[in-house]
Amino acid sequence: MDEKLRIMVVDDEKIVRESLYHWFRKAGHVVDMAASGFEALDKLDKTPFDVLFVDIKMPGMNGLELLAKTKEEYPDASVVIITAYGSIESAVQAMKAGASDYLLKPFKPDQMALVLEKVAIQRRQEDRYRYVKGLLDEVTRFDNIIGQAPVMQEIFDLIPEVAQSDSTVLITGETGTGKELVAKAIHAKSLRANGPFIAINCGAMQETLLESELFGHQKGAFTGAEQARKGFLEVVSGGTLFLDEIGEISPKMQIDLLRVIQEKKIIRIGEREPIDVDFRLISSTCRELDKAVQEGRFREDFFYRINVISLHVPPLRERKEDIPLLVQHFLNKYSQETTKQVNRVTDEAISFLKRYDWPGNVRELENAIERAVVLSKGRTLHLEDFSFLKPQKTRSAPPRTLREIQKDYIHEILIQESWNVTQAAKVLGINRVTLHKMIKRYNLQKPSDSN
Amino acid sequence: MANPKGLIGIIPMGTVPKHALEVISDRIFDLLGIPAHILNRVENPSYAFDRKRGQYDAAQIMTAAESMTWHDCPKTIWVLNVDLYIPIFTHVFGEARDGGSCALVSLYRLDSDAEGSPVSEEKLMARAAKVALHEIGHLFSVPHCTDYRCIMHFSTNLDVLDEIPMAFCHYCTAYLEEGVRRAGLR
Ligand SMILES: [Zn+2]
Ligand SMILES: [Zn+2]
Repeated sequence: MDEKLRIMVVDDEKIVRESLYHWFRKAGHVVDMAASGFEALDKLDKTPFDVLFVDIKMPGMNGLELLAKTKEEYPDASVVIITAYGSIESAVQAMKAGASDYLLKPFKPDQMALVLEKVAIQRRQEDRYRYVKGLLDEVTRFDNIIGQAPVMQEIFDLIPEVAQSDSTVLITGETGTGKELVAKAIHAKSLRANGPFIAINCGAMQETLLESELFGHQKGAFTGAEQARKGFLEVVSGGTLFLDEIGEISPKMQIDLLRVIQEKKIIRIGEREPIDVDFRLISSTCRELDKAVQEGRFREDFFYRINVISLHVPPLRERKEDIPLLVQHFLNKYSQETTKQVNRVTDEAISFLKRYDWPGNVRELENAIERAVVLSKGRTLHLEDFSFLKPQKTRSAPPRTLREIQKDYIHEILIQESWNVTQAAKVLGINRVTLHKMIKRYNLQKPSDSN
Repeated sequence: MANPKGLIGIIPMGTVPKHALEVISDRIFDLLGIPAHILNRVENPSYAFDRKRGQYDAAQIMTAAESMTWHDCPKTIWVLNVDLYIPIFTHVFGEARDGGSCALVSLYRLDSDAEGSPVSEEKLMARAAKVALHEIGHLFSVPHCTDYRCIMHFSTNLDVLDEIPMAFCHYCTAYLEEGVRRAGLR
């Protein structure tokens, strides 16, 4: 036997059910039985089947009803209708409704073998079709970035073009839109593809740590530096350095990096001699950096250096047509990872997911699918499986850290009080010394100070 | 294939030519190395006769056969000379369940060719032995085989059955060995 099929026999007559069961077992297939259409649907919800052999005459839900439900909810399953001699008309009806074949009872044993062979061939053709369709799907995705929306197609078109040059790239977009994936795709299509791709999240690191990560250090250069270590600017040689959340780095770091980009040399922390470095810089930000430049919070010269080419990744709510595609992608990913075989989402759930605003963008969608797959009891995700997503009345801003909120609030008050620290401290309800500390900690600067 | 620990029982049901039982027994020993003993005759299964179809219900006979146990014979072959059917099929030559204890073999449809003219005794015996060995294969959990030169190849076409040599293919031999061992017969 060349192909092992997962077969379900659905018949209310025990003797017929068991005859078929034993026959298929002998033919080497994996077989299960159901005594009614309801039991069959219940089993289909939990395990996938390749072929269903369904008796047309059953009480409750008849074979044709089960056929229709199966074709609607599990289109991948083939259905063969079994009917008694004399009811050829319903067999024809079944074929029209999507049955793969029908058998008139009783049939010659070799007829059964022929039907199975036919079904197997049909399934192979469908697999091939799905494979070809899979190749077409490739067109709608760039490596791991998925999207059919025109805005995404534009980005897919830009990536190879951008990859050709060695200029710095600034990728803008909200948190979770997949900026790092775009950076990786640019790297992968570039001449540096064989070199390393190193990503550093500048927002997640303390300044001194970020400095030593980038520039490296000598043994004993600072407390805890027990080994000499090369910085990423050195390690990344020949490849691409991706600085995520570049808007978060301090003015001092902006100056240091600006020098590196201009001179292509670095000086390790605690050393004197400069060493050559060779990398392409791609950075990203979820903030409006040009505004920060205008307000003097971000160095203009550095901004222009890192922003030779700019790309904008749209938030998910601006390309909602991609949601079904993304859902399917993450469903495949997590049903494989969890081996739970969840492979469907009801239309109702999809339309809810399309209505939802996704403040956390693709990442939030991915997390939602992962969570729903892990918790689901069946093979289909329903609307209730997404009840943890609370629909918002208005679009909320991307999630920010408490630190970000505090920093922005203090900055706002300082501007409001024209940088009169005493006055601002009063408004903020803290003392002057504390406010000075905060201004320092958050690198808040008066517009005039930056020039 | 040495040191058999158990036996296969061959049970005639109704009137069956003794020669057929002997040939089946010999071929089982040739191919499996397990002795097959011809046991006492049992009654023709009139309880399983279906008037409407004019045939015997293999499933009913099987149920009756499975309810009996035979000392020293964990696997038994029941040989009959009546037309067998199972509810879904027009007829069957033999019947056995995957990993079961009893197999049925009917000589009824084996004694003529496609045109209905009788075949030689030699041909009939060879067919009976092939069907018996095929069903025994199922009793040891061997599934159907795609190889046309293997006894486990599924066929209800007598011309095809005649072309199959009296042998299990490579793979089915391996499956069979494992099945025999697992059944504790070796
Ligand atoms: Zn068989
Ligand atoms: Zn074989």
